[in-house]
Amino acid sequence: MIEGVAFYILSTVAVLGALLAVSRRNLVHGVFALLLFFAALSGLFVMLMADYVAAVQVLVYVGAVGILQLFAIMLTEHVTGDDLRRLGARGWFWGLMLAVALPVVLLLPPLLNGEPPVPPAAPQSTARQLGSQLMEHYVVPLEVLALLLTGALIGAVAVAHGPEKDPPGKDRPA
Amino acid sequence: MIDWINNAIAGLSAQEQFALFGLLKILVAVFAIVLPLVAYSVVAERRISAWIQDRVGPNRVGIPFTNVRVWGLGQPLADGVKVLLKEDFTPAHVRTAYFWLAPMVAMVPALLTLAVIPFGSVLGAQPMVMADLNVGILYTFGITSLSVYGIVLAGYASNSKYPLLGGIRASAQMISYEIAMGLSVIPVFLLVGDLNLGQVIAYQAGGAWLVFKQPLAFAIFLIAAFAETNRLPFDMAESESELVGGYHTEYSSMKFALFFLGEYAAMVAVSAMMVVLFFGGWTLPVAGLNQPATSLGVGVLQIAVFLAKVIVLMAVFIWVRWMLPRFRYDQLMQLGWKRLVPLALANIVATAAVLFWQSTKS
Repeated sequence: MIEGVAFYILSTVAVLGALLAVSRRNLVHGVFALLLFFAALSGLFVMLMADYVAAVQVLVYVGAVGILQLFAIMLTEHVTGDDLRRLGARGWFWGLMLAVALPVVLLLPPLLNGEPPVPPAAPQSTARQLGSQLMEHYVVPLEVLALLLTGALIGAVAVAHGPEKDPPGKDRPA
Repeated sequence: MIDWINNAIAGLSAQEQFALFGLLKILVAVFAIVLPLVAYSVVAERRISAWIQDRVGPNRVGIPFTNVRVWGLGQPLADGVKVLLKEDFTPAHVRTAYFWLAPMVAMVPALLTLAVIPFGSVLGAQPMVMADLNVGILYTFGITSLSVYGIVLAGYASNSKYPLLGGIRASAQMISYEIAMGLSVIPVFLLVGDLNLGQVIAYQAGGAWLVFKQPLAFAIFLIAAFAETNRLPFDMAESESELVGGYHTEYSSMKFALFFLGEYAAMVAVSAMMVVLFFGGWTLPVAGLNQPATSLGVGVLQIAVFLAKVIVLMAVFIWVRWMLPRFRYDQLMQLGWKRLVPLALANIVATAAVLFWQSTKS
């Protein structure tokens, strides 16, 4: 009973946060709406007994990703985020199609089998299990992911650094 | 009396007991322990700073409406009345909703962190921790990382240049030092083998405190803790001499006081974390205090031990603030990224290597 109420409150907050995040014109307000969504999502993870994922969701997304976005916005010339220009979003039709198609595809196998899937029992210590799974079964994907992120980081530095400047000492005209 | 209470408790279901004692622990811990600790750490800050600078400090206020002075210990009451009665001025140019939200966001994370701290062994049959999470340490880091939003929100909401600069500085500083802080405790968990904070204390009760086994981890954690709580020598977000007051320039009255109290509450929270992680929590290797209490008296004594350790660390925070000048911003970043993060990484690799060597030897 109380779990149902909590689920509907968290889901409503999550959906509202996500909608606000894409519809607000002020970038800073958009980031705060996104944070609301992340926080509600973490609550939903708690309801699934996934304590480790919930804590990491707060630590990484609410804590670090959100503050990085705010920091990035505040470093640009639109410090306050009050920027009324926006990209034309004409992909709404396909977005809607995707939103409808995704649950259908996910629910198709159990619907065809005629029986709803049974959720496995929540393990006691999820952190330990996740760790051993990552280190034993998924080592290669983990390393590939790490390499990909490193590549992205180096690429970002290269883009931010810009083209090679003149060597030092020559940059000031005499 | 005791029998009557025991009978009344035994009549409740397990869930009802959990709800009742959970509520009691929250009320007692927050209103009887943490908030007085915060209030008196402000007095301690003023008295210690005065002592360091060879002044007298506030020593007049005693019990209200009498002439009894108890070393100025009535000062928090006078301060509280003062901030509540001051005019709560909201400048016309601020973003009102965020302006109101920011002080609350600054105060709440520090109190939330305390929910997973085991501040004693047992009292009767009740474990002295509000929420015994399996991922306790991740929870504390997650919540601690939220405390920066109070400052960034305040900077953004004030809609003027000095607070905004303070907010930007705070965001960069706190992300940087959070990484060093998070990496510094990984060796602790390599040794303990569990993320539960109660297990960390149990491990230390069985051997030496982790501050002796992992002095480097403790040093990095301590430095990062100063940066995370925005205390001197890392109070870039405030830095009165260049940014007027930083993020709280536009705030007055109780809203300002909430930022102020939030800072001290964060100090209490981070001190409590250090006590649990590095100083053996509520244990003390004398007179059997290392074992969970079997009587009420020992249980209370262990809570007192925990509080005493927290108070000592708070005093260190205050002491350092009045001894060191403020870092320059580039020095701060240099220290964080080029010194602390590589050191913490090296510490992880070294600890893991030693543990591996030990496991192959036996």
